[in-house]
Amino acid sequence: MSEGADALERLVERDQDHECNGYGPSRVCVRVVAVADLPTRTGPFRIVGFWNNRDGKEHVAMVHGDVVGEAEVAVRLHSECLTGDVMGSLRCDCRDQLTEGLRALLGQPCGVLLYLRQEGRGIGLINKIRAYALQQRGLDTVEANQALGFRDDERDYAVAAHMLKSLGIRSVRLITNNPEKIRQLGQYGVDVAGRIPHVIPPNEYNRFYLETKARRSGHLLELAARRLPEQGDPVVVAGMDGAEGLA
Amino acid sequence: MDEAPEILVVGAGVSGLACARELARADWRVRLLERARGVGGRCATRRVEGQPVDIGVAFLHGRDPGFLSALDEVAGARAQWPEEIRGTGRPCQPEAYQPGERRLAFADGVSAFPRHLAEGLDVRCEAPVEALELDGARPRVRLEGGAQEEAPTVVLAVAPEQAQRLLATAASPPPAVASVQALLAMARSDASLSLAALYPAGRPAPPWHVSHPEASSVLQLVSHDSGKRTSPRHLALVYQAHPRWSREHLEDPDWPDLLLDEAARLLGAWARAPAHRHPHRWRYARTARSDELAGPVLTRLPGGGRLGICGDRFARGGGVEAAWLSGRALAGRILAGEDG
Repeated sequence: MSEGADALERLVERDQDHECNGYGPSRVCVRVVAVADLPTRTGPFRIVGFWNNRDGKEHVAMVHGDVVGEAEVAVRLHSECLTGDVMGSLRCDCRDQLTEGLRALLGQPCGVLLYLRQEGRGIGLINKIRAYALQQRGLDTVEANQALGFRDDERDYAVAAHMLKSLGIRSVRLITNNPEKIRQLGQYGVDVAGRIPHVIPPNEYNRFYLETKARRSGHLLELAARRLPEQGDPVVVAGMDGAEGLA
Repeated sequence: MDEAPEILVVGAGVSGLACARELARADWRVRLLERARGVGGRCATRRVEGQPVDIGVAFLHGRDPGFLSALDEVAGARAQWPEEIRGTGRPCQPEAYQPGERRLAFADGVSAFPRHLAEGLDVRCEAPVEALELDGARPRVRLEGGAQEEAPTVVLAVAPEQAQRLLATAASPPPAVASVQALLAMARSDASLSLAALYPAGRPAPPWHVSHPEASSVLQLVSHDSGKRTSPRHLALVYQAHPRWSREHLEDPDWPDLLLDEAARLLGAWARAPAHRHPHRWRYARTARSDELAGPVLTRLPGGGRLGICGDRFARGGGVEAAWLSGRALAGRILAGEDG
């Protein structure tokens, strides 16, 4: 590693010989293998690439500011969603959640977004498309979705916990509306020092959440309820009932 | 044994047996209904001229620690097999097993595993189920010949196509069942035409255990079956046809001859004329890797009963390991009182 290597770049060298017992039931272990600057439309970040010992999924961290060795780092977990993140699908709000997650980090002294390559929360892209196809036919898909793989995947949290540990983060303030995420991360030894509510500004696409919430009934609410829980995080749009309480 | 069962499992293949065994271990009364004369489904060994021949699954392989320790519990001689593998098959074919997996064969045949799983279980063989009733307080199955069985929970551990057909017999299926049917209809199983061929004693054995021919659109795999036996009297080869060729030739009465023609082209003229042969049509042989689901189905029925579905499609990794894993996962969900 060159002379001027910074704290993140030094992690690559450190992890060359990394050994541990792994995290979670499947003993997953990650290593920091590559670091680079990544200017984005949202703002400047550094991107950190991780290798893992269980599958070919190349997880990444988007880093803002100095996080190595820091406490109370703002952290957002985002599960890969090709249809939402890349294609701008309206079947989910993943792209908004991603963009707003990155934006929220820039408002903090430092922060990390862990981009977990668990497409459709571990079910894979093809099975997610199958789930959409079932949904499209108006079927009550709870059990079918379970078979397709929609469920909380413990491994998400094990990977995330190890990634945070690899980045030398001492404690986190988690950007989430889902207390379960705090509990799960805590189980893997992550010190969660606080929570930052994840509130998305209203736009023409998510306005229907506001309307359905306001009406508290009707077809639209059903539609919202039937959505697949891709990010495992309840949607909170600024202006929606309860958003003020969270913010 | 004659007390009413709490769980009925339709199908005593590896998945149904793994599910039943786990439930029985937790002191649930489980009864398996199997269409065939014996257990094991595609994990099948036949005696041809007194020699065991694996006519379905050629060997067992996997990496899950629970599955591997279940294999370790089976009594009888075993060997790491295959060790000598020739060819990689056609480029479009997925690997049958991944590097790093353990693989083994039993000297008595692969059916040693399901027979072991079935020990101590209430298995009714030659009991083909032909219809389901899901609208009452307890789901019911109707057997061929009219006999009926009922239990609070019914598990279908059969090929997805067979499960679909059984679900279609239920009058006015609830929405949850309709969605499961739609799910099952999204993929289909591959067929496999398989021919066990025994050659006269003295025929030199090939220098490989398993061959995946690269230059054949007919033969997907040749298993040197007698290579697994301790002192085989015959050279036994099992030919398995490609999924597409199998599907196209399922109803062609000449398929065994066509398969042997191809064997002769690839191995030599001697392969054309075995002394004994045993053909088997596996209509629902395996699930393509792209069609695998993440877990089994367990759904609550309107009358209060529960319906479970497991099998090799309902777990990752394919094959006997996936069948076993899905059966066990379903038992776990039943024991935990889950349903959708």
